[in-house]
Amino acid sequence: MSVRVAIVGAGPSGCFTAQALLKLRPDAAVTILDALPVPYGLVRYGVAPDHQGTKAVTRQFDRLFTRQGVTFAGNVTLGRDLTLAELQAGFDAVVLATGLHGDRKLDIPGADLPGVLGAGALTRGWNGWPDAPAPEIGARVAVLGNGNVALDIVRLLAKTEAELDGSDIAATPGAGVRDIQILGRGPAHLARFDPVGLRELGKLSDCAIRVIGGAGTGPVCEALAALDGHAPNGATKALTFRFDCPPRALQGAGRLERVVCDGLTLDCDTLITAIGFAGDQSPPAAADGLIAPGLYAVGWRKRGPRGTIPENRLDAQTVAARIAADLPAQATKPGLALPMATDFDGWLRIDAAETAAAAPGRIRRKITSLPALLAQARN
Amino acid sequence: MQIALLYGTETGNAEMLAEDIAAHLSDHAPGVTNLADFDPADFDASMLYVVVCSTYGDGDLPASAQPFAARMAASQPDLTGLRFAIFGMGDSAYPETFNHGSLKLEELLTGAGATRLGSRVTHDASGPDMAEDLAMPWIDDILAQAGA
Repeated sequence: MSVRVAIVGAGPSGCFTAQALLKLRPDAAVTILDALPVPYGLVRYGVAPDHQGTKAVTRQFDRLFTRQGVTFAGNVTLGRDLTLAELQAGFDAVVLATGLHGDRKLDIPGADLPGVLGAGALTRGWNGWPDAPAPEIGARVAVLGNGNVALDIVRLLAKTEAELDGSDIAATPGAGVRDIQILGRGPAHLARFDPVGLRELGKLSDCAIRVIGGAGTGPVCEALAALDGHAPNGATKALTFRFDCPPRALQGAGRLERVVCDGLTLDCDTLITAIGFAGDQSPPAAADGLIAPGLYAVGWRKRGPRGTIPENRLDAQTVAARIAADLPAQATKPGLALPMATDFDGWLRIDAAETAAAAPGRIRRKITSLPALLAQARN
Repeated sequence: MQIALLYGTETGNAEMLAEDIAAHLSDHAPGVTNLADFDPADFDASMLYVVVCSTYGDGDLPASAQPFAARMAASQPDLTGLRFAIFGMGDSAYPETFNHGSLKLEELLTGAGATRLGSRVTHDASGPDMAEDLAMPWIDDILAQAGA
C-alpha cells in the first residue's frame, strides 16, 4: 500500500506541502483535513476580498484534489473529532499546517473596551468566516499597525461600494466611516508597509489622505510622500497617517471614545489593532519541520506569523523534502475512517452555490453559517 | 523542432502553466526548467525556448528568475540566433507595473541578441481569462509560423 500522509489545515501552507510532497513521492496517498467544509484557509478568509488576483493561487490547489488524487476531509477538527494520537496511528506522517488565528493583544489600559477590535477577527468577519459576523465599525476609526494587514483594512474602509466591484465582500465595510487614522508605534522608515500597497491607496476616489511625520528615506517614505495631499473632488472620508505615535491608553464610558497617545488625544469610536497574530506553536518544530518522528509542522504554525504566501511556499518545499526523506517505502499505518468528513465535491457544490448567488458587482456571495455550508456540501 | 520550457515563478502559478504548455506540446517532449536552475551558458540556438514568467513586488522579476538575471548580467552571453517565445503573468490590480516581470525578462533576452517569436502575451490574474486558454492557441500559432 502507498504511504499515507495527513496534512491538518487546507490553507496555502498545507496545500503547498501536498504539492511539493507529491513531486517527490508521487505514490503518497495524501489527505488534507480542515476544520471547515471549505478549503484554502487564509486565501479564502485572510487575503483581502478586493485582491482576487492573489487568490488565483487556489487554481494550483484545486488540481491536488481534481487531478492528483489528494483527499479533502473537511469539517474535521483536530482535538474535537479526533486526537493527534489517533491521526498518528492512522498515517505514516502527520503535518500540522494549522496556521495562527489569534490577534496579538494590545497591552494598554482600556484595551478591553467595546469598540477595540482585532484585525484578524474583523477581516475574517468581512471575509465571511462562518458564524462570526464582523463587529460594527463606527464613523471615526483608528487602525494601529504599520504592516500590510493594516493597509488592507484601511483600504477596505476607505473604498466606496463601486470600488469594491469584482470583489467577494458582502457589505461595504466603510459605508459609515468618515475619519480613519492609521497609527504607527515607530517611525515611518521602519514601517513594514509594502510600497505597492501604499501606492494602491493613491487611487481611492472618496478619501483624502494626509501624512504626518512620514519624512525619511527609502521606498516606504517615498510612497508616503506621494500619497500626502491626495484629495479627490468631494471626498467624504479622510485618512491620516501618523508615526511615532504609540497609544498609551484607551478611554471611554462603556465604549471606546478616545485614543490617548503622547501629547495627542484622538476622538475615535473604533480602534482596530493590526499588530500581528499569535497562537499555539507547541510543540515546536525544527527548521526542517520535524517535531517528532512522523510529526511535522509547516507555515505559520512552524515559523510564526511572518511571511507572505510565496515565502511559505518555499517553507512548504523544505518541509516536504524532509517528510519525503523520512517516509517509509510502503504504508506502515492502516489509515483512518473519518465519517464526519465532507469531501471536495462538497466544496465544489458550495463554490457553485456561492458563485450563483453573487450580487451585482460581486463575484460570489459567501455562505456564512456552518450548518448552511454543511447542508450544501452534503446536498 | 526541439522545445524547452523555462519558467520564472513566485507563487507557482507560472510553473503550473509551464507544465501545462509542456503537456500540450508533448509531441515535442519538452523539458520544463525553473529559471533558478538554468545557466545561460546552456542556451542552445537549435532549440525554441518557451518562457513563462510572472511579476512580483514592485514590477520585479519573480524570485525564481532573479538568479538567472544575475547570471545573465555576470556572463553577458551572446544569444544571437536564439529564438524564444514569452508568456507573461500579472495582475491588473497593479496597473503601473502590470506584467513588468515578463517585460524585463524579454528585454534581458533580446538585449543579448535573442529573437522573440510571436507576441508577448500578458495574462491578468484579475481578469476573466484562464491563462491556459490564452497560452495554448498562442503557442500553437507560434509553432505553426515557425514551421514546427
